[in-house]
Amino acid sequence: MGRVWLLALRDLRLEVRDRAGVLSALSFLAVMLFVMALALGPEEGALRRAAPGVLWVALAFLATLLSTRAFALEVEDATLDDLLLTPGGKEWVYFGKLLFQMLLLLPLSALALFLAAGLFYLPLEKALPLFLTLALGGLGYASVATFYAGLLARLRGREVLLPLLLFSLVVPVVLAGVRATAGLLEGLPVAEVASWWQLLLVFDLVYLTAGALLFPVVMEG
Amino acid sequence: MLKAAHPERPDALTWAFLGLGVLLLPVGLYLALSAPPDVNQGYLVRIMYLHVPGAWLGYLAFFVTFLYSLLYLLRQDPRYDRVALASAEIGLVFMGLALVTGMLWARPTWGVYWTWEPRLTTTAILFAVYVGYFLLRGAIEDPELRAKAAAAVGVLGFINVPISYMSVKWWRSLHQTQSIDLTTGKVHMDPAMLQALLFNLLVFTLLYLGFVRFRALVAALEARKEEA
Repeated sequence: MGRVWLLALRDLRLEVRDRAGVLSALSFLAVMLFVMALALGPEEGALRRAAPGVLWVALAFLATLLSTRAFALEVEDATLDDLLLTPGGKEWVYFGKLLFQMLLLLPLSALALFLAAGLFYLPLEKALPLFLTLALGGLGYASVATFYAGLLARLRGREVLLPLLLFSLVVPVVLAGVRATAGLLEGLPVAEVASWWQLLLVFDLVYLTAGALLFPVVMEG
Repeated sequence: MLKAAHPERPDALTWAFLGLGVLLLPVGLYLALSAPPDVNQGYLVRIMYLHVPGAWLGYLAFFVTFLYSLLYLLRQDPRYDRVALASAEIGLVFMGLALVTGMLWARPTWGVYWTWEPRLTTTAILFAVYVGYFLLRGAIEDPELRAKAAAAVGVLGFINVPISYMSVKWWRSLHQTQSIDLTTGKVHMDPAMLQALLFNLLVFTLLYLGFVRFRALVAALEARKEEA
């Protein structure tokens, strides 16, 4: 557990020091939401209906971006093999990279929620349940994204392959996430949305276990 | 489903599956064309005898890919990887058949070729996952890494199969629920139609088994050429 935190915090520090990475992710998010609002607007009802879908697609792009970044420096400096050569299991690398992404993804998705609320006329009375939905979905995205980013880290053409492999696999998460978000925004009681949360949780657990189990196997050699 | 490490030509079992499948295919066609028309859909329902076996074999093939991918990850024997590859390829073809026949069927019954309905959407995604499987295979040159990466996708991608299968139950929508429900074992179908469908399922499964063994052999020959 100590190693996991150490790796995540080191990556986070590098990322914050560099600033360009986080800033570009942030501006990408903002521009994307802005362009989507521009394309779908200006009618208020249409914008509100489209918002959950737009938000989840934006988060999917963000997760791809962050997961590539999680391994970009390791590959650039050729330190990935050193990481993998440390004694003991290799799952901790997976969890460390995942933690790093979640530490960035959580505040960024909260920010995305507020941005979307402003651009798409969303009510924010249920901000906390909404954020919980985003966090659960974000974990689903990140768990698959980390796995694939690690797998593809050493390959040419990874920028194209990653979204292709990732998006088709996380569709269940998108589906449950969009439904839960839409339900909350329409004012459904939290109890009715809970079944979507359960589904998200199940997917998170499945992806996390599969990712943690498969990661060491595909990374060695 | 495995062959010797250095096969030369298809073995007797492969020929048996293929031969039996090809021989019985016209019989299946005859049964499908002579089956009674549906109360609501009339003769249109006969597309089912192609549509259901296609989808069924798509699922089965991806399951076999999942199984052999797992085996490969555990044992690292290239033979497992070749079967997984063969099965994924054939599954993709059969899934494509199911999608195309489904679209041809949807046009006269629902009025559109395509609609964003849960079953259709999840099946299209499933198709995309295995297209990604082959793109990934194409992108990696090192055979060992390629097999490992593909196996990982073969395992992870399979998560979508049960979702696709259950989608008609979880989200009741346009697509009808399973006529032969594997989760409860219930059958909602006229016996004559069921007979024809089951026979076609059998014929297609025989063909699938033959194809997989044949494709795995071709993959083995390719691998040997790559090594040489």
